Amino acid sequence: MAYSDKVIEHYNHPRNVGSLDKADPNVGTGLVGAPECGDVMKLQMKVNPQTRVIEEAKFKTFGCGSAIASSSLATEWVKGKTVEEALAIKNTDIVRELALPPVKIHCSVLAEDAIKAALGDWKKKQGEADLKPAETASAHN
Amino acid sequence: MSVIRSQDAQTEGIPVTSCWNCRAAVTGAHFCAACGKVQPLPAGASYFAFFGLPQKLTIEPASLEGQFHMLSWKLHPDNFVRASEFERNLSLERSSQLNDAYRTLRDPIARVEYLLEHLGVRKEGTTRQQAPPELLEEVFELNESLDELRDARAAGGDVAALQGRLEAAQQNFQEGLDDVDTELAALGREWDAAVDFGGDESKKQALLARMNETLNRRAYIRNLVAGVAKELGS
Repeated sequence: MAYSDKVIEHYNHPRNVGSLDKADPNVGTGLVGAPECGDVMKLQMKVNPQTRVIEEAKFKTFGCGSAIASSSLATEWVKGKTVEEALAIKNTDIVRELALPPVKIHCSVLAEDAIKAALGDWKKKQGEADLKPAETASAHN
Repeated sequence: MSVIRSQDAQTEGIPVTSCWNCRAAVTGAHFCAACGKVQPLPAGASYFAFFGLPQKLTIEPASLEGQFHMLSWKLHPDNFVRASEFERNLSLERSSQLNDAYRTLRDPIARVEYLLEHLGVRKEGTTRQQAPPELLEEVFELNESLDELRDARAAGGDVAALQGRLEAAQQNFQEGLDDVDTELAALGREWDAAVDFGGDESKKQALLARMNETLNRRAYIRNLVAGVAKELGS
């Protein structure tokens, strides 16, 4: 199957690859996996506790081109957003932007899960209540 | 309207229909027992039923292969060159199903995957199947160490030492894969016993769920094995 130009672009030039200090109280880490294909994705964000703005985002993904592109795009999108704005990102937004085919939708779900997991971790570190489980069931059909 | 369904273990759930040619009753068979005409594929019939097998996970490879050759020969489109277009299409349909069914059932892993899909336990991309965090941590770290080895090699590191580490990693991953496969085989035997002795539904469901989890874990380990093999092969 052919990848879209945007997927290839992110795959060849992934943005924000790397990691942040997991022990930093302002860094939230999300580690998620897709058992259907064995992909694993780690997304980290550094959030300013005063402004709640995401100042930095890094990812590392072991998986297919679509999973890498989805996480690369996710880090690009969350930077400069507030925690609440980032949590509003839906996997369907990623599907649209990258023109992912139906069999690769789970890659975008993974990216959305990773954002939610990372910000959930950050909130926990900040002493805020943990997030409810990600609600992405609507995108699963 | 109620549909009459077969109670036979091999043809369980396949509706009893009548032959398009002679109207005799047919239950998923390739050919009508009365007139010998090739039959359309029944809706919802499984690959197991295609080979007349119960939905069990232990399959004797030699007998499956024998069946495959016999059916390939019987269903071969060459046998239908003088038949009606309708029959030619049926033979084509059955032949292609035969190939899919054989390819799936001869592979023990694909067989389990198929059973789970057929019974609605596993659906590609539709069910959220999150792995336990410890497993994700472990898989991520293993992937990272593989990545480091890759980078070190690309940067012209000590090739002999790296080779040794890669080989150790390969052995480690392969053992992990073997363990998972052993576990899956054991679950398969439990499943077969439950089918044979009419195990209760909750027990069967629990077994299917465990097989699904094991398959998920296997996907991560399989990727690691493939990754390290690629590194060693290059």
